[in-house]
Amino acid sequence: MSLDADLLQTLLTEAIGAGDYADAFFERKVTRSFRFQEGRIHEAGVSVTLGIGIRVLRGEQAGYAYSDDLSPEALRKTARIASLIARNGGGGAHAVALPRQPLAAASVYTSDSAELRPGSGTYVDLLSRADAAARAFDPRIASVNAFISDELQEVAVATSEGRYVTDCRPLVTLGVQCVARGLVRGNGYVGDGGRTSLDYYLKRTPEDLAQEAARIACINAEAVEAPAGEMAVVVGSGGGGVLLHEAVGHGLEGDFNRQGTSLYSGRIGERVASELVTIYDDGDLVGERGSVAIDDEGTPGQHKVLVEHGVLQGYMQDHLNASLMGMASTGSGRRQSFRVAPQPRMCNTYMPAGESTVEEIIGSVQRGIYAKSFAGGQVDITKGDFVFMVAEGYLIEEGKVTAPIRGATLVGNGPDIMTRVVAVGNDPHLANRHYTCGKGGQYVPVGVGMPTVKIAGVTVGGSAVG
Amino acid sequence: MGEAEDIALAASAVQLAVEAGAHEAEATYVVAERFATEARDREIAKLEQSTARTLTLRVFVDHAKSTLTTSDFSPEGLRAFVGEVVDAARYVTPDPLAGLPDEAAPPDAARADRLEIYFGDVRERDAQAKIDDARLMEADIRAYDARITNSSGSRVSDTLATLALANSRGFRGAFRSSTVARSSSPVAQDGVSKRVGSYGSASRSYAALEPAAQVARAAARRAIEMCGARKPATMRVPVIFERDVAAMVLSDIFASLNAGNVAVGNSFLIDKIGAKIGSDLVTIVDDGRLPQGLGTSPFDAEGTPTRRTVVFEEGVLKTYLYDTYYARKLGARTTANAAGGGIGPNNFFLAPGDLTLEELIAATPRGVLVLDTIGFSTESVTGTYSRGARGIMIENGERAYPIEEFTIAGNLATMLAAVDAVADDLHFDSTVASPSFRVAEMTVSGN
Repeated sequence: MSLDADLLQTLLTEAIGAGDYADAFFERKVTRSFRFQEGRIHEAGVSVTLGIGIRVLRGEQAGYAYSDDLSPEALRKTARIASLIARNGGGGAHAVALPRQPLAAASVYTSDSAELRPGSGTYVDLLSRADAAARAFDPRIASVNAFISDELQEVAVATSEGRYVTDCRPLVTLGVQCVARGLVRGNGYVGDGGRTSLDYYLKRTPEDLAQEAARIACINAEAVEAPAGEMAVVVGSGGGGVLLHEAVGHGLEGDFNRQGTSLYSGRIGERVASELVTIYDDGDLVGERGSVAIDDEGTPGQHKVLVEHGVLQGYMQDHLNASLMGMASTGSGRRQSFRVAPQPRMCNTYMPAGESTVEEIIGSVQRGIYAKSFAGGQVDITKGDFVFMVAEGYLIEEGKVTAPIRGATLVGNGPDIMTRVVAVGNDPHLANRHYTCGKGGQYVPVGVGMPTVKIAGVTVGGSAVG
Repeated sequence: MGEAEDIALAASAVQLAVEAGAHEAEATYVVAERFATEARDREIAKLEQSTARTLTLRVFVDHAKSTLTTSDFSPEGLRAFVGEVVDAARYVTPDPLAGLPDEAAPPDAARADRLEIYFGDVRERDAQAKIDDARLMEADIRAYDARITNSSGSRVSDTLATLALANSRGFRGAFRSSTVARSSSPVAQDGVSKRVGSYGSASRSYAALEPAAQVARAAARRAIEMCGARKPATMRVPVIFERDVAAMVLSDIFASLNAGNVAVGNSFLIDKIGAKIGSDLVTIVDDGRLPQGLGTSPFDAEGTPTRRTVVFEEGVLKTYLYDTYYARKLGARTTANAAGGGIGPNNFFLAPGDLTLEELIAATPRGVLVLDTIGFSTESVTGTYSRGARGIMIENGERAYPIEEFTIAGNLATMLAAVDAVADDLHFDSTVASPSFRVAEMTVSGN
């Protein structure tokens, strides 16, 4: 998708005024979705997002305006509103020059569907197969919901520095949620997909996902109440990566560090975690949900070392915060849509392999819990306090995984917990691709990953005291 | 554009859908003028202003439903996507219950004048006054206490919106609304660590909105009162939910009253109509016609006139909350809670008691006042509730010291039954609101 370079050039020239920088973000996103519920295709949806956002930066100040009306008159008005913040004071007009044609970003997506053609028939078939497989898994399965979403987002970014680039990002997601009847009603959810085509579901079949969701629902239907109090926690490989995302990742986003409101502000080069802890954030992993060939400011997605052997190495930066801190953007400027300005965000956050085997890790715990996967989490960036909701969890008693538990949350403090990582497994995995991260009201797809990790002493919130 | 033009646009989308083969269609066209500014210290950090237009079109082909949401208003784009969404409906399993509401709303149902949801002072207030408010809050939070040396910003925002709804059964309605908000997030230095306090308030008019100085003071107090917090011991004690946190508990309860969740087994309130769930103090209401309410509107997303629904009366569950589809499914009448393609709250709240929060604290010899929770997964199926929390330890009826890094856990049904005191501090600053209330006993997990 390309726009008229002359028009963009005019808009940016009008917008920048006495500012330091201006950019325009064009987006056209079409999402097609189907939802399966109670044994039938319940509804279909098409969502279209089309518009341009224009931003002007001046020092720490940001002006922003957007328009879904793409006429030159409406866009010029949008540029003028965005520039209000840079109207006063000195500084001359900048002449903005853009290349005549945009540069297409090198893809980090696998986007061609050879066999499973996008279209209503394919979506309906995949969902029906998921439903049948979940119901066939166990007679205790009482209800099955499933959805599929197939999205294509075309973006173009033009900046006052002469950058003009485009990207075309696919994103597919298939999710299955089951409720099983047992001792209690148990819930199980599994979703997977990525920045890839529907052909992904030839190998990762709807049956796989449905059976996994049904299995978790059946386990949770027989789960006992989670214990409460401080104990050792073994975090499962893959989905355990939510822990990195919440406990450390958000605190390393550039905006909080530039403003000095993160507990990691000014601490590059310092020891912030156990020496077993290394954390990366990659924007360029092929097909992963959080990957971006270019971010929403046109900077290529890239590999970033956040923490290495416990020492803080760097932050995730967008243009604004990087320039104010005298650093380079790390391709982390992302946004939910053209209606909002970009923020520094995570892409795919993960920990590489350690040396312990899973058996050694579980075997070393006398009493604790095994948090195999999380339903989500939240963090207070300033203080570092976090909470994680366990989706699939078990008791560990005398070195063995025993009864499933329900309703467990882990609560603690990010920097504190990272110093208590006492073992890292040799089984790193990226989690199923279904995570979405919210920050300041903006939601973007992300990836997480981790090996099995043991943390000595985490507060587990449950209702069974003792 | 005016309301008549907006209705005409919605009606033309309905017409397009019918021409493309839809048997029924409903279009909602929303135009929202949004303003937002944020200050940090002495500077304006953000200044944003835009008009957003969104069209949502629900189509039914043989009782099979499909929905288009779009911001592409080009004639060719609109025609192509309307065609596509009608085609997609042909792949949906027909469901005799799916369709527009049977009853045509009376014409005056679209009237919004007595609801007081649009105020002229929102358009009249100029940008500079709003920027000055944001700066004032930044100065005030720093003046509150020397430990407040930084902030994540102070914000002022407003929205003026027009919503027009048209459907193929002839419903035509439109209304204007205004929303304003002020918030602040000061950061206090507490020894080597930092603490953020956040407070915000929203209203339909600047005249009724909490003044900037008051918002700043509340936010600063939240940052400062947590300084020196420690981790408590694990215990079972009375827990007081301060009103903002109490509203979050109400949101969890709403999820299990949502007839869509009830219908698919995802609620702890299934088969409980008429049952005594809560204590006598638990009266919960959903009111779509509360004057100046942030969830007030003349009609819901399907054009059904809004109403006041008592959901829990002195602890007894009276009804779930429905849209047209789930009302048909569960053999009830819609409660006009259709929202955003599903079911949502109008003004959903716990009825206030007559104690002040301070009196409630004084009546609690030992307990925990919860000021903030983190985490958002409640198991609706079982009502299992568990949150990370921070707040104040209460000893001898007084605020003794701040506590953090603990969890509170229980079960929503058990918690409702154990509500043994409700305060009088209900403020309608959100669509879900609650006064502070006390639960007789909960598990607090710390050391």
